Amino acid sequence: MSQADNPKRNIAELESIAAKLRLRVAEMVAPTGQGYVQQGLGSADIFTALYFAEARVDPGNPDWEDRDRVFLTTAHNTAIFYAALAERGFFETGRLSTYCEDGSPLEINASERMGRFVEATCGSLGQGLSVAVGAALAAKRQGRPTRCYVVLGDGEMQEGQVWEALMSAGAWGLDNLCVILDFNEMQCEGHMDNVVSLRPVADKLESFGFAVHDIDGNDMASILNALDAARETKGKPTFINAKTLVGKGVPALEGFMAHQLMFPPEVAENAIAVLKENLS
Amino acid sequence: MSQAHQLDKFEAADFINRTHKPIPRSYGDALLAAAKKDERIVALTADLATPTETDIFRDELPERYHNVGIAEANMIGLASGMARAGEIPFVHTFCSFATKRCYDQITMQAAYPNLPIKIVGFLPGVATLLGVSHQAIEDVAIMRAIPNLVVLDPSGPEYHASAVDAALAHDGPVYIRLKRPETPPENDIVPKELRKGEGILAREGGDLTIIAAGLSVTEALAAADRLAADGIEASVVDMASIKPLDAGLVIDRAKATGAIVTAENHSVIGGLGSAVAEVLCDAGIGLPFKRVGLADRFAEGGSTPYLMKKYGLDSTAIIKAARDVFGKKG
Repeated sequence: MSQADNPKRNIAELESIAAKLRLRVAEMVAPTGQGYVQQGLGSADIFTALYFAEARVDPGNPDWEDRDRVFLTTAHNTAIFYAALAERGFFETGRLSTYCEDGSPLEINASERMGRFVEATCGSLGQGLSVAVGAALAAKRQGRPTRCYVVLGDGEMQEGQVWEALMSAGAWGLDNLCVILDFNEMQCEGHMDNVVSLRPVADKLESFGFAVHDIDGNDMASILNALDAARETKGKPTFINAKTLVGKGVPALEGFMAHQLMFPPEVAENAIAVLKENLS
Repeated sequence: MSQAHQLDKFEAADFINRTHKPIPRSYGDALLAAAKKDERIVALTADLATPTETDIFRDELPERYHNVGIAEANMIGLASGMARAGEIPFVHTFCSFATKRCYDQITMQAAYPNLPIKIVGFLPGVATLLGVSHQAIEDVAIMRAIPNLVVLDPSGPEYHASAVDAALAHDGPVYIRLKRPETPPENDIVPKELRKGEGILAREGGDLTIIAAGLSVTEALAAADRLAADGIEASVVDMASIKPLDAGLVIDRAKATGAIVTAENHSVIGGLGSAVAEVLCDAGIGLPFKRVGLADRFAEGGSTPYLMKKYGLDSTAIIKAARDVFGKKG
């Protein structure tokens, strides 16, 4: 396959891609205020690592049967997802300006009507991991090199189905499955610890049979190291507990817990200015 | 270092807070008022306090409020345990999750034991930007099929308080399908009466009857106005109680007007239109009849007016159906 076996591992370059994607997130959400800007800024490094360094995907052939599969189970985190896909070449960057417009397939919740690069429609939380486990099983059965990556939400782990899927993946030793928890600690009603706490998440996952890595999810080198370790782990699935900071990259927004932040123009303008400065 | 003036966190939070335009909590206020009168009432939400208007309940009666996290099926089980202990749980999330995600739990732990669990869903039908995962287009069909369960689909915020009363008046499980206004209403909301098993004759006309529910009632009334301008007088029934259905009113309007259109923010399969057709067939009444609703297909995320038009749910679609049935009358 063309590009796919030549992943980039240049950290400075990846960090500059992440910076560009953060700017795109702010620019996409700014016109209407609709979109998940806090989550997008927080998880930009994860998406950059997955799409520009790790996952074997081919924008010229999104249906490639041996591709790695990236599942976005928190389907609302679309601003960063679409920005990454466009930058990677899956569709024209110009289409990002139609985000959330009536009639645009760039819906606020990702739908597979976008194309095969949306591996499943997951806006109903807790369902995507099961699909990824099924895809990982199928890849094994069919002898494919496919690896399945799941960007999982922390609040989403309150859904029981997530634990059914985790239990099966651990029990079956699916080493072609890598779950990346976007652990930003935020859900609709605020900090997760004030709703139903997930802690201690690493202990839970280890007991379910996963190789677990606790990392700073905003540190590119740590993300890459964990992904490398996951690929080398045999007989176990991997769970990367990636601690992320909502609003990362815009000081005024960092740590501001607002699941569905309506992005006021004054704040958006400031965020865009700050993110533009970071590019240079 | 910076050329741009960097906002600090306080300034940003201030801008963000000021952009919130509060929408009146026609449902949330009514639930809180009821709970202050009846201490058996408890409220649960699956991590959606503000969108389900239960934030005021949370703030005023915290000991009777539970955010169970993003865990809808679990929430129904919890409610069942509470109801079996003599409490009256109101559970809250979006319609799609309140019904489809916990269907088995609702049948076994709410409906079969006939417990007073009130399932309150928001974002009915296609009316949301959030797309197919959040669009409850088959919830009425599946909930209507569950024995013991009452299904209410109020047409607007003026009926939200009486929906709470109607739910409490029924000693068993109830599903209420609510649509919050998307922007603050210009005028104060004047509460109106809704009762289990009773349709509301919202407009009287002799040429045909439009039986609508929920968001489609406004569209039906707009359609009736435009039909009247062309000399066609339509009755409009707001069928807020989809189960039990007001069979007497359906039969009465069928006999009085001789043609029926149903209109719903839901699939045409299994919802209000099907319920009305069942009543007519059971009564042996044959007449020109059309269902307006989502034509057995999925929608997409978008603004409500855009989706209502695109998927043939708006007043224009109702007018077309009305002209059609009117033209077929003998």
